[in-house]
Amino acid sequence: MIRFEEVNFAYGARSVLRSVSLSVDFPERVAVLGGSGEGKTTILKLVLGLIRPDSGSIIVDGDDISHKSEGELRETRMKFSIVFQEGALFDSLDVKENVAFCLREYTEMSEDEIDARVRHILSSVGVEQALELMPEELSGGMHRRVSIARSLALDTPRMFLYDEPTTGLDPINADNICRLIAELSKEGKGFIMVTHKVSDALKVADRFIFLRDGSLLFDGNRHELLHADHPDIKLFINELCIQDPSGL
Amino acid sequence: MDVKRTINDLQDFYSLSLRGLLGMFGRPFYFKDALLQMDYAGAGSVVIVVIVNLFVGMALSLQLAAELSTLGMKMYIGMIVGISVVRELGPVVTALVFTGRVGAGMASELGSMSLGHQVDTIRVFGLDPLKKLVTPRIVSSLIMLPALTVIGVAVALLGGYYIAVFISHQSGTVYWSSIRKIMTVENVVAGASKPFIFAYLISSICCYMGLSTRGGSVGLRQSTTRAVVLSIVMIIVADFVLTRILLYLLGFSV
Repeated sequence: MIRFEEVNFAYGARSVLRSVSLSVDFPERVAVLGGSGEGKTTILKLVLGLIRPDSGSIIVDGDDISHKSEGELRETRMKFSIVFQEGALFDSLDVKENVAFCLREYTEMSEDEIDARVRHILSSVGVEQALELMPEELSGGMHRRVSIARSLALDTPRMFLYDEPTTGLDPINADNICRLIAELSKEGKGFIMVTHKVSDALKVADRFIFLRDGSLLFDGNRHELLHADHPDIKLFINELCIQDPSGL
Repeated sequence: MDVKRTINDLQDFYSLSLRGLLGMFGRPFYFKDALLQMDYAGAGSVVIVVIVNLFVGMALSLQLAAELSTLGMKMYIGMIVGISVVRELGPVVTALVFTGRVGAGMASELGSMSLGHQVDTIRVFGLDPLKKLVTPRIVSSLIMLPALTVIGVAVALLGGYYIAVFISHQSGTVYWSSIRKIMTVENVVAGASKPFIFAYLISSICCYMGLSTRGGSVGLRQSTTRAVVLSIVMIIVADFVLTRILLYLLGFSV
């Protein structure tokens, strides 16, 4: 379980999170919603210990990671796999080497085994044809898929973290990514998906958290989200109605 | 000036420099990464090092020929070119070229990786970015800059030879015999020890600046510029300090 207790965080003078408390179980499928600059990505970075809270505690599996060193955080980080907004593929490596990166670091697999494993993972996310391409040769959708493939290379992660996985994609590619995320979560591994696209969140998540001005404005299920009274949440839902009147 | 921030930055820089260097003595070893960096830093820089040093050697020889001819001492061209190039110009000019090509590349590449969350990805994978990214760059610099300096010195001496013999009409035999005379242990040590210090300075500064990049393309431009400028200043300052120390240690009277 991941637990935030009264977490505060600021980038310099700009306060991003204010006394945020929440808990998420590993198998849960959670979408963190909110406008730009509301601290959604900050939550993912705090979970991974990439940044430290100014105050409050972040507890992962009963272990307070707020003040752990880089070395001590390794074990915690191995429980997660993150797909950053732009994919964060290594520019100097081709798709195969990007996906094989962790296999080479953490396993004793032979070259043939790595090749077979990489092909299998790429095929499962639908980009097996990209095996020998460099990241700059990939389209936006392929980039995200390869990034997701890389996050699947090891079996150790218990939860996936997605940072705006559909931002910048056309509706068809965005829908394909959502299907892929939903498919992967069927294997019992939950996720926290940060997004400002409520339509995508509704396709994949069971629980919805809404951030506003650095605070938790809403935490509930699909039904509660769609019938929330708060004007800011209604604005998001209205946008959904404009995009897809039958989406509700 | 924010004193606290400056102290923190210095502390981070020293930590990165030290851990990056010590990283080569402990597992895991990233040989392939180091080899790739060596290829980029070494093989990729040979041509520009050769061109720059060739012209530096020729220009130096030309200046000396012009001055020494008025004194009737043109036979000393070889000796003065040799001492200047071996002890001073070869290491410094090669280090400056290395900064412009390799150091700037390190800073911009690592900066781009920081901004694109690739460094964060390495951390999330449970790896140490210093061992994975910084140590191979320090190792490759420590190996390739001294090697490039040897090539640079040799080419600069050849450039000096060309001017002395074909333009200034001096004896080639006298030129090379002067060079042989100045190739003493003291002179070679004075010149050969510098590239190691310069390599460590350049790679540490450029890696630190790259990894601390913030703020998009403007931040990337600033960190790359800062890396190159600071490296150049540090090379010049370190050269003076090293020269003073080496002259003292090697028993030269000033």
